[in-house]
Amino acid sequence: MKRPTPTGRHLALTGIAITGALALAGCGGSGSSGSSGSSGSSGSSGAELTVGASYMPQPVSADMAAGFLTITNKGGTKDELTSVTSGSAGEITMHETNGGAMEEVTSFAVPAHGQLVFKSGGNHLMFEKLKRRPEQGDTITLKLKFAKSGPLTVEMPVKSATYNPSTGH
Amino acid sequence: MRKKTFAAAALLAAATLTLSACGSGDDAKSPVTVVSGDTSNKAATILDTPFEKPDLVLTDTHGAKYDLRAATKGRPTLIYFGYTHCPDVCPLTMNNLAVAKKALSKADQAKLRVVFVTTDPARDTPAELGKWLKGIDPSFVGLTGDFATIQAGARTLGISIEPTHKDKKTGKVVSVHGTQVIAFSPKTDGGYVLYGENATVDDYTKDLPKLIKGENP
Repeated sequence: MKRPTPTGRHLALTGIAITGALALAGCGGSGSSGSSGSSGSSGSSGAELTVGASYMPQPVSADMAAGFLTITNKGGTKDELTSVTSGSAGEITMHETNGGAMEEVTSFAVPAHGQLVFKSGGNHLMFEKLKRRPEQGDTITLKLKFAKSGPLTVEMPVKSATYNPSTGH
Repeated sequence: MRKKTFAAAALLAAATLTLSACGSGDDAKSPVTVVSGDTSNKAATILDTPFEKPDLVLTDTHGAKYDLRAATKGRPTLIYFGYTHCPDVCPLTMNNLAVAKKALSKADQAKLRVVFVTTDPARDTPAELGKWLKGIDPSFVGLTGDFATIQAGARTLGISIEPTHKDKKTGKVVSVHGTQVIAFSPKTDGGYVLYGENATVDDYTKDLPKLIKGENP
């Protein structure tokens, strides 16, 4: 290595910058990744909601699918997700997972200055009676309704059956 | 200068470790029994005392009798307990295994047995199971039968499942899946490696060639 010192220092700094980014991605939650799913905001009531990191793993059949997303509330007032609907599915219900058992819930709190996270192995949206089997590359349009804020529309991309949001493939 | 670059690399490595630590917090709930050492951020947990393969005689997706011990004797075998009306973890787990399996040589693929035992036998008939597994990997074995038998078999592997029941609040049918994949050695037929539900395609892809040989991943 015969590079002059300034380059070396630059390299070292780059390394540190990357560490910072990684630490952030690992612990900070997936809400801000924004690459998937549309986001809107509605701040009339004090809650400021955006949706990110949404995806559906390509399901085995049209009978049943799962969907994941993160709702971020930048406002100082909490809100509540009360329903999720889509023209693509006959029914969408919300579930939390305890151990290996899933339990349907009728609403989920979106805390002030916080997040409501749906992720594999935890909370999930369950789609039933889909019009057809969603395939990788498709987009599912969802409408989220809240107790206080106005509804949000989410364009949820269908990813591979084994999609892992932390690695992005 | 060289030193500085190394320092940065070391920092990077440290951060990556921190990262994994953050992600694997959920593992704690797995009812793991005796574990050798601390495998920290590895997906595989190697058991000091392997599980005996459960003595399960059930019905496969063709409606034929399937004796687990006899049919998988001397074969590298992966067993998972789940159900097909499961939107999230069950299909993800089976798809992870299906994708990882494709990276093996044809000869190794032929050796591997992946067995999905339903925890919801009332809904998962041989035909239903077959239809579902066909959408994942047609070579996977699907087993159904008497719930009490399945539950007892799961229990010998430290996996606790409850019968499908109606949720008190919603009246909807709720089933329970296991949270682990257990790998059985072709050499001893013992269940010697556990994977939690956070194990990824990459984890299985990396480990399957070892598991095929009965080696520790």
